[in-house]
Amino acid sequence: MSMTEPTRQLIRPCTLVYAVLVMLTVATWAIGRLGLSGLGVAMLVLAFALFKGHLIGDWFMGLRGVRGIWRWVIAIWLMFCGGLISFAFILSYRS
Amino acid sequence: MSNAKLAIFLPFVESARVVSMNEKETIVVDTASAGVAAPDALVRYPPGDLAIWIFILAELLVFGVFFSSYAFNRMNHVELFNQYQATLDRDAALINTLALLTSSYFVIRGVVAAREGNNRLCAHWIWGAVAMGGVFLVVKSAEYSHHIGAGISLSTNEFYMFYLSLTFFHFMHVILGMVILAAVAVKAGQGGYSREDHVGVETGASYWHMVDLVWLILFPLVYVMR
Repeated sequence: MSMTEPTRQLIRPCTLVYAVLVMLTVATWAIGRLGLSGLGVAMLVLAFALFKGHLIGDWFMGLRGVRGIWRWVIAIWLMFCGGLISFAFILSYRS
Repeated sequence: MSNAKLAIFLPFVESARVVSMNEKETIVVDTASAGVAAPDALVRYPPGDLAIWIFILAELLVFGVFFSSYAFNRMNHVELFNQYQATLDRDAALINTLALLTSSYFVIRGVVAAREGNNRLCAHWIWGAVAMGGVFLVVKSAEYSHHIGAGISLSTNEFYMFYLSLTFFHFMHVILGMVILAAVAVKAGQGGYSREDHVGVETGASYWHMVDLVWLILFPLVYVMR
């Protein structure tokens, strides 16, 4: 291949992941800015956060390439936090 | 076989340049972007020193307890939490979140550069991440300054007690992360890493991503969810 031939460099997946993280962050901010509230909105925002956390663990921390329990440590932490926060918010809306 | 398919079959290569002669195009596959890994290509331990991962797990546990405490305390003071949450600056929180996300992106690019043996590029990316951390500190300090100027303290009410302690605890972690990244950047600038030995970069990166990860939960929980 000669030096003058066209070269195309695909966007790195970590760049795409970064773009998704930014979009979800802006969506979260917009929900807050609009003053939206309610259990459904809170759960949606929390779901965004947990998904973003999973992307960080998998793609940025490199756990996607790890096997065994280490593969899931961040996901387990996210489920732990997400579960307790969801539970508390559900109770606050029921009481 | 198409380049896309070929890239999928190159999991976890340090840096592979796949050249298709007939399509006359080049695809660069980096470690952070390798597609689907075959099960036998998976490694046993996460990137970086294992000790930092034990530290990270301990930190995450502490933050997890903090987050849960916030949520369960809010349960008994919903009106108060909603009222004072509205006084927070969400725009500043957005800037801070974007700063941390961008710094994490810079860090992963720095890690890729280190794995390719490019110390100079690695140092540039990591210094960029440190700068983004600096943006976070400046914006957060401005927020604290505003609160202190308004006479708000830990004893003002339950919401501010959680808000100030949670965010300041995270603030301290950002400072520590910046110190670690600065040390990595200095060493990279001196040519201290190589293709074979770049554990130090991965270790610092893992810690910094943890700092980012925690903020990604803290931001919606304290600033948005109501």
